[in-house]
Amino acid sequence: MTTAQLYYLLNLLIYAGVDIIACLGLSQQFGVAGVTNFGFIIFQAAGAYTAAILSLPGDSANGGFQSYIGGWNLPFPVPWIGAAIVGGLIALPFTFLVGRRLRGDFAAVGLLVTAVMFNLLVTNYRPFLNGSAGLSLVPAPLQGEYDPQGAGYQWAYAAIALVLAAGAFWLVQRVTESPYGRSLRAMRDNDIVADSLGKNLVALRTSVLVLGGALAGLSGAILVSYITTWSPGAWGYAETIVLFAAVIIGGGGSHRGAVLGAILVPVGFEEATRYIPTFGPPGFVDDLQWVAIGLLVVIFLWFRPQGILPERRRIIGATAPSFKIPNEDVVTLAGPVRAPRAAEAPNPGRPATAPASRANTADPVVLRAVDLVRDFGGVHAVAGVSIEVRRGTLTGLIGPNGAGKSTLLAMLAGTLPVTSGHVVYQGTDVTGRPAYRRARLGLVRTFQLASEFKRLTVMENLLSAVPDNRGDSLAGALRGRRYWRRDEEAAIARARALLERFGLSGYADTYGGDLSGGQRRLTEIMRALMTEPAMLLLDEPMAGVHPRLARQIGAQLLDLCAEGMTILMVEHELAIMDEFCDPVIMMAEGTVLATGTMTDLRARADVVEAYLVG
Amino acid sequence: MSLFLASFGFGLVTAAVLAIAAVGFTMQFAVTDVLNLAYGAVMIASAFVAYALNQAGVNVWVALLAAAAAGAVGSVLLNQGIYTPFQRRGTAPITLVIVSLGMTLIIEFGLQAIVGGTSVSYTMSQGPTVRAGGLVLTAVQFVIIGLAVVVMAAVHGLLRYTKLGKAMRATSANRSLARNCGIRTNRIVTVTWAITGALCGIAGTVFAINNGSFGATSADLFLVVILAAVFLGGPGSAYGAMLGAVIIGLATEISAAYITPSYKDVIAFLVLLIMMAVRPGGLLGAAVQ
Repeated sequence: MTTAQLYYLLNLLIYAGVDIIACLGLSQQFGVAGVTNFGFIIFQAAGAYTAAILSLPGDSANGGFQSYIGGWNLPFPVPWIGAAIVGGLIALPFTFLVGRRLRGDFAAVGLLVTAVMFNLLVTNYRPFLNGSAGLSLVPAPLQGEYDPQGAGYQWAYAAIALVLAAGAFWLVQRVTESPYGRSLRAMRDNDIVADSLGKNLVALRTSVLVLGGALAGLSGAILVSYITTWSPGAWGYAETIVLFAAVIIGGGGSHRGAVLGAILVPVGFEEATRYIPTFGPPGFVDDLQWVAIGLLVVIFLWFRPQGILPERRRIIGATAPSFKIPNEDVVTLAGPVRAPRAAEAPNPGRPATAPASRANTADPVVLRAVDLVRDFGGVHAVAGVSIEVRRGTLTGLIGPNGAGKSTLLAMLAGTLPVTSGHVVYQGTDVTGRPAYRRARLGLVRTFQLASEFKRLTVMENLLSAVPDNRGDSLAGALRGRRYWRRDEEAAIARARALLERFGLSGYADTYGGDLSGGQRRLTEIMRALMTEPAMLLLDEPMAGVHPRLARQIGAQLLDLCAEGMTILMVEHELAIMDEFCDPVIMMAEGTVLATGTMTDLRARADVVEAYLVG
Repeated sequence: MSLFLASFGFGLVTAAVLAIAAVGFTMQFAVTDVLNLAYGAVMIASAFVAYALNQAGVNVWVALLAAAAAGAVGSVLLNQGIYTPFQRRGTAPITLVIVSLGMTLIIEFGLQAIVGGTSVSYTMSQGPTVRAGGLVLTAVQFVIIGLAVVVMAAVHGLLRYTKLGKAMRATSANRSLARNCGIRTNRIVTVTWAITGALCGIAGTVFAINNGSFGATSADLFLVVILAAVFLGGPGSAYGAMLGAVIIGLATEISAAYITPSYKDVIAFLVLLIMMAVRPGGLLGAAVQ
């Protein structure tokens, strides 16, 4: 091997280290958490600029041919650490883009615009970071002590880059395989449902922007210290597309996939082909390369959207089931079911928050709606509804299609803001509180449409709902498995008990997206129970379920109520209402028509006219 | 005062180009539910169709019609060949956005591989300088403003007074409900791609005329300005896009005159980000739930 070849090889290894770190950061955001950060490249750029101005001497020191802020001349590794910190913190001003209010694709556009805007600002304001010419003569680490052009130095640099890449891999692995990582994946699969289960979407997305940003910043630092220059041309939004292509092709959400994608696309495709002989007019090969990246993205999204190395399935639940697994919706519920409680599966990590201890037992009314109104455009979907739900009841909510039942439920749970009126839960006015905070108070809903987390197993679906797991935060996840293992084991025990009782033990490791309709409904009910709710809001929990199973679910819900839980349930099947629900609230055209037992309702002419006959 | 009037005049021209582009983009999004980031690429590809004809001796205003046709055909093909198959599969909107970015690379750099990386200009006369109401603009600039007014009026007439426009609005509001009401939504979607593609082609050509010179990747930054106008007005709202275009066009050119031209697009993007923070639904859009 000639010296030139050796240097070229080392060059590729260093690029590999840089791109692997960047792709792991992006994969964490896009693949794991579902945050489509089209501005990802500005995090890498921020890290590169930070490392540059921390290691460069003051701008007067090099004859003033470039001007920039800072110039602190700090020793290695301070500039790299600073780069990771700035890369992480620069996300904070933009958290408003990833809140609950903005659709995911709109937020992506906002981040894209942010990236373009930053590039314009840096390009045009020269005193900041030397404008379009960019920074050059960035010192290599320890260049006073060693010769950066020496083979030994190059070897060491490549080794450090790869070690840091391995460290990044270890870090994202630790985070993703924690309860916090599971929450990220739940949010990715269905953010509205995650919100309704008590996940703070803004906090989750912000933390993942910070984590991915820190990795991007570090990658920028390694890159800039190696190539010694950095200018706005190095971070156009096309560079972001290259990284997205890498993550999509390698496999979103899979860390090995991110590594493979980094090696295949930015390194293999961009760097290695830089040296193939050119043909055609100037720029022709470059153009074709971009076309090829575009083609790869589209082709992969069509033929293999999960990437070459897909996210792997997390096997947690499979303790050999003790009975034959029914293959149909008609599963037999094993005996009388009681809600598994914190008392049964003690959780030493935190004080018991069983429903009973949360409840304000003095007031028999758990949930009160006062003059709730919701308008869509000019339509009054709910036009002034006042109801009370009393403790320990299984209250039914019926009404013809379009009566406003689901809208009412969404307002009670906080999924939908009210136009006017109040929601009072256990004596507290929660009208202004977002869904996740109501869920943490024990007011939890399910959804009319199937809402399982598709790429989480049934076991993970259940575990994702457990409140207060010590590992369910970035800080907790970083402290490692030992920190949260006991919480996790307690949660798994509870989940196993629930699965056993609902006859779904054999499906613990099945993806939510692969279940039948009835199994999805059961999973959703179990998941809601895992939050240890004081009050459940169920939106047609028996829709699409075999009648026999529906009755068994009804019996269990009654059991839960007997133990002090309160349930408000929307249901179309009047036989279910007859058998299980008392009282029943009847809605029509956005208002409450009547309240009482089904027998009372059947006796009223207007109710019969509105619903029971027509 | 004359500085203000001069920049106001330029602002109107920019707003005119922007309005044609933004209305096309936003209607495409409203009816078909695709946030088509390849819009800028189709714009510039259409402008090059006009350029080819122009080089062959055709008047640029005639070539504009060919660009409209090219934009329409290209957009319909893009939808039929790429977006609709993905949508039929139930692909998430955000994945479609990524697909559209991939298509941007394919179209832009495929084009650049053919036409080369250097910028080109139409062969055309700027016409005499015209003074009207204190504004001093070239005849071509007045024609662009006039063209935009005509296009806006046509869009207004289409949406408000024709059966097709009503069907488009119905499809936009609720596609499956519209289908159940007997509207052939697939056909409406295709027609929408044709109409908005024509707008895209016209916008690309007037953008190229207004810019003076253009290359295969010239519309990259302008696409982001279009997004700013669309999201400012409220994504999916044609009248919002018109309003957004006027605000962004005037704000960028007037700030260019009074602050510095370097930051004129930064102003547009700041307006957009503030809007996303304060009122994600845009000025004329419904508040996002």
